[in-house]
Amino acid sequence: MILQFIADGLCLGFVYGVVAVGFGLIYYSTRVFHLAHGAVYMLAAYSLYLLLAVLNIGLIAAIPSALVIAAGIGIGAEWAVYRPLHRRAASPSVVLISSLGLYIVLVNLVAILAGNEPRVLRPGIEKTVAFGSVVLTRIQIAQLIGGVAVLSGYWFLMERSRLGRLCRAMADNPDLLGVLGGNEGQLRLVAFALGSLLAGIGAVFTSLDIGIDPYIGFPMLLTAAVACIISGVGNFLAPAVGAIALGIIQSVVVYYTSARWQHSVTFVLLIGFLLLRPEGIFGIKKRLEEM
Amino acid sequence: MNYFLHLLILVGLYVILAQSLNLIMGYAGLLSLCHAAFFGLGAYVYVLLVVALHWPFVLALPMSVLAVSLLALPVAFVCLRLRGDFFVLGTMGLQMIVYTVLYNWVDVTQGPYGISGIPKPTILGWEARSIPAFCLLTGVLAGAVCLFCYRLSRIPFGRTLRAIRDDELAAMAIGKNAAWFKAVTFSIGGGIAAIAGALYAGYVSYVDPTAFTLEESIFLVAIVAVGGAGNLRGPVIGAILLLMLPEALRFVQLPDSVAPNVRQLIYGVLLIALMRFRPQGIGGQYAFD
Repeated sequence: MILQFIADGLCLGFVYGVVAVGFGLIYYSTRVFHLAHGAVYMLAAYSLYLLLAVLNIGLIAAIPSALVIAAGIGIGAEWAVYRPLHRRAASPSVVLISSLGLYIVLVNLVAILAGNEPRVLRPGIEKTVAFGSVVLTRIQIAQLIGGVAVLSGYWFLMERSRLGRLCRAMADNPDLLGVLGGNEGQLRLVAFALGSLLAGIGAVFTSLDIGIDPYIGFPMLLTAAVACIISGVGNFLAPAVGAIALGIIQSVVVYYTSARWQHSVTFVLLIGFLLLRPEGIFGIKKRLEEM
Repeated sequence: MNYFLHLLILVGLYVILAQSLNLIMGYAGLLSLCHAAFFGLGAYVYVLLVVALHWPFVLALPMSVLAVSLLALPVAFVCLRLRGDFFVLGTMGLQMIVYTVLYNWVDVTQGPYGISGIPKPTILGWEARSIPAFCLLTGVLAGAVCLFCYRLSRIPFGRTLRAIRDDELAAMAIGKNAAWFKAVTFSIGGGIAAIAGALYAGYVSYVDPTAFTLEESIFLVAIVAVGGAGNLRGPVIGAILLLMLPEALRFVQLPDSVAPNVRQLIYGVLLIALMRFRPQGIGGQYAFD
């Protein structure tokens, strides 16, 4: 029985992982604490709903279109909200409050246009496959395989390609990147597009599995951000490890207590890390003047 | 007339909340998204004292203030281990934990059923039963809180706090214990929010956890950010403006199902626009840098 919960948690963890590395990519490379990442995630799910259930275009066409829309929203957010603040060298708090404002605007726009009630993309019961005592639905298997594929692709992109080197350089020192001939504005747009694309992939995985409503983005965003902290701030791939751990722990907590505590355990874990290991699993201690 | 007084009571409650959040956000420079948690804890401590133990208002109010201040102190020390953006995330996490506990600890808080039948505040035989009487009580307390916050910003404590906010390393170099000052401010702010919590519980005579969500914390941050942080008038302007907004929207005849969403949409847009063009808010002094 416990194995089943661990397997469910692993599937959930891979979805968290994909969204969390997207959040981490944006945060580390542009220093924008992108709360509206949650809204991008939610909007990708609603785009998929619109394309699949309302316009009735097939899954093969709907998924890439929803991902393109997600990336587009990310680019739009950078272009309309964050870039003017970045040009003015606004403080992190100002950027964060703007991001909160953007999140509120996007969520309430969707709520006004599509209603507050939950929607289901694919009604009916999903076919299952049994592996010994563990039973997984087909979409959960897709989450596992897709999650591994996306995360490996992302690892390759960040560690082995020129784009990844540029992103890491921008994370390290954005001014120096400009001095050495990099185009910071363009690279920020790329980071937002790629991060939002990852949020979109996460949204596709969840929305094909369970229902959606305008408020699904925030719990996902909080989990992604907590995953970044407990993994240690600064490493582009580390959030995936924290996210998978969070997925498994959340699922196991449901087994031992009840689903009511599923989301608070994330924060209990966060506080535990703050007290015992504030630099995170893979993090390096920093002094105040280094921040 | 009673409708107008009801609005005044709401403004009074939110002025108390906004002033206390302004201590944390404006003077200590800590963007905190767990203020609704302090508000809720204050309300629940007050309600439990009044309903279960039959304490009078004059004892239960200071007790709930004290309890929440003491609770806020360790909270501050945990969250202050994070800096900047992640501090905000830590406070959000705390807000979620407090909400979940209020919602799920059914034995004490009655969880989603809430606690009803809370008596009106009685001070030395005078019961604030009618709406004008309650308005007077709220007005007096809101005035006292404003005066307290104003004094606090003038004494050396307030000046030290602003110094730490503006340059933490320099303040520490002249021997100020930054973490301690921030934590104490957190504790004072939480305690004042408990006053609003007790008043709220006494006014609507019913509490349930859904009044103290993360959305409420975000709303409080929006009040301070829109009105302006770092001085006395900013939070007052913000509270009046954002509370009058839904009343103004009544005249536009929106359907009930979307009215709350339209209100939130407007303050979301206000937040983005102000941060872009006037980060210190409408009447504030501190621009969150």
